[in-house]
Amino acid sequence: MARIEVQGLHKIYGKHVAVQGLDLEIAAGELLVLLGPSGCGKTTTLNLIAGLDAPSSGAIMFDGQDVTGISAYRRNVAMVFQSALLYPHLTALRNIETSLRHRGLDRAARRHRIAEVARMLGIEILLNKLPSELSGGERQLVATAKAIVREPEAFLLDEPLSALDAALRLSLRAELVKLQKRLGVTTVFVTHDQVEAMTMGDRIAVMSNGRLEQVGTPDEIYNAPVTLFVAGFIGTPPMNLIAGEIVAGQFRQGRFSIPVTAPPGPATLGVRPQDVRVVAPGGEGALQVEVFAMEHLGRESVLIAESGDGSKMRVLVPANFRARMGDHLGLLPDSAQCLVFGADGRRVIVERGSVSRYANR
Amino acid sequence: MAFLTPLEIRRFPWPLIPHEANLAAFYNIFGFDYALPNGTSPASGQAEQIIRGLINSVAVSIVVTMITLVIVLPLAYMFARTSFRLKNSLLFAILLGTALPPISTLIPFYAMYLRLGLVGTLTGLVIVNLTVTVPLVTWMLIGYFRNLPPIERLARIDGYGHLAAFVGLVLPQARSGVAVAAVITFLFAWNEYTYALMLVNGSTANTLPTAISGFLFMYPEPSNLAASVIITIVPPALVAYFLQRHVGDMNLVDAVR
Repeated sequence: MARIEVQGLHKIYGKHVAVQGLDLEIAAGELLVLLGPSGCGKTTTLNLIAGLDAPSSGAIMFDGQDVTGISAYRRNVAMVFQSALLYPHLTALRNIETSLRHRGLDRAARRHRIAEVARMLGIEILLNKLPSELSGGERQLVATAKAIVREPEAFLLDEPLSALDAALRLSLRAELVKLQKRLGVTTVFVTHDQVEAMTMGDRIAVMSNGRLEQVGTPDEIYNAPVTLFVAGFIGTPPMNLIAGEIVAGQFRQGRFSIPVTAPPGPATLGVRPQDVRVVAPGGEGALQVEVFAMEHLGRESVLIAESGDGSKMRVLVPANFRARMGDHLGLLPDSAQCLVFGADGRRVIVERGSVSRYANR
Repeated sequence: MAFLTPLEIRRFPWPLIPHEANLAAFYNIFGFDYALPNGTSPASGQAEQIIRGLINSVAVSIVVTMITLVIVLPLAYMFARTSFRLKNSLLFAILLGTALPPISTLIPFYAMYLRLGLVGTLTGLVIVNLTVTVPLVTWMLIGYFRNLPPIERLARIDGYGHLAAFVGLVLPQARSGVAVAAVITFLFAWNEYTYALMLVNGSTANTLPTAISGFLFMYPEPSNLAASVIITIVPPALVAYFLQRHVGDMNLVDAVR
């Protein structure tokens, strides 16, 4: 159960910078999710932590010891790859056994340990099957067994659930978290699925274009995004982002204005779909929109509306809300819940409200 | 034709189906007389060449197949799964090697072999066969290796070195590819005629195809020719029969991706 530190990590492939100056600390026993769109460098980061790739510069420490030049195997990490990669020509049992190859354990001890792990995961009956005879979920369990049987310093999971169907993903998600908590192994979980990240992570590190955008608990990431990117990436339906400018303590876009605490200049206003009220059209200070579509979710609905400049706004409305395409409406964001981002894409921190409101929820 | 008596062959049109299977030609080509009801079918003068050709062909084909596999499997794997400097140029060079018709390299080879003393030797024949099989089979297997699941990273986590992973994990998965490579190499070496005709014909290193061609020239012996051809078909047929189920497994269509 190592504490992992990543210091000033760079990885450059030819001209392409995959990871740029990454600093990260993962506490012992923590489940950290690396989240970002594809190509953001999260898998590269995971491979660097695993020791499968050598960084261009920077260091990786396990428990304060520099392991940057040490091979993947000697770091004693266990990795589960995308779509639960297994050796296709070996049975589940032999696949799991390869993890113990160099342990100096005799056959009986190895089999005993595998049996123990298999019982824990409930995969005893799968042990003599080939990977091609297993379903996606079963392969996932076998890959997990292969990972935990070696009692690693850290689990590194590279989008292990991405190839599974939605229902299975949901149940395995909870099982993985439960297992991780029970074993208390430091875990790094890479995903591009923000729901997965929010539900599984003790903390989430959001990456984009090889850079770390923000690290924090799911709560912090959701309620206090530090950058425009994080704000737009986290949350379903996504946060509404309105481009405009700040003049004399007011955020303005056309005739729409709302009081904010921020220095003057071009800015982007961010507001979650649940923090917007629908009002009659023509109202003072409201954003004038036209209904574009309605999405019914059952318990509530998402109203998608188009504002004058063609950008879409999403608003959560009660399930019984009725609107027809082309109807004119006014939207009034709750000013206490609005986040203001400066021209550099970073949040203007001076305003209060959202953090304190959600912090004690 | 191999089963007809000389008398039947001389008739026109000769019968498509022999009246009785007559094994005379098969005895004759291996140097035995065969008693027919109306006389004796004498042993063929080519018998010595045929027997030696058969032995040489089997030896050359097996040796070429083994050497080709030893060279090609790691080579194709490297091209498919690793990246290194000049990879594409080298790949192109390999393809170019297969693009030349054998006739065009025949005279240079002969001139070179004269100096090296390799004319009329099995070693020389093996080497010349390898110049064709190695690039051809490498090119073929690259696509195959590319399509295998990417287990290398998993292998490194499990503490396998590059060589151990290749021998212990990749090759066992690649049985179909190895089998197909072996079949193709064997068939090529077995049927190779152009080089053999020029480099070893008439010597003690004669192979079966050139030995058979002897029946065509001074004293044509159609039955013996046909019988030899049937003998020639047997080994490749056996090889193909035992390895054919692998051929279907191997997805060559995906080779260029």
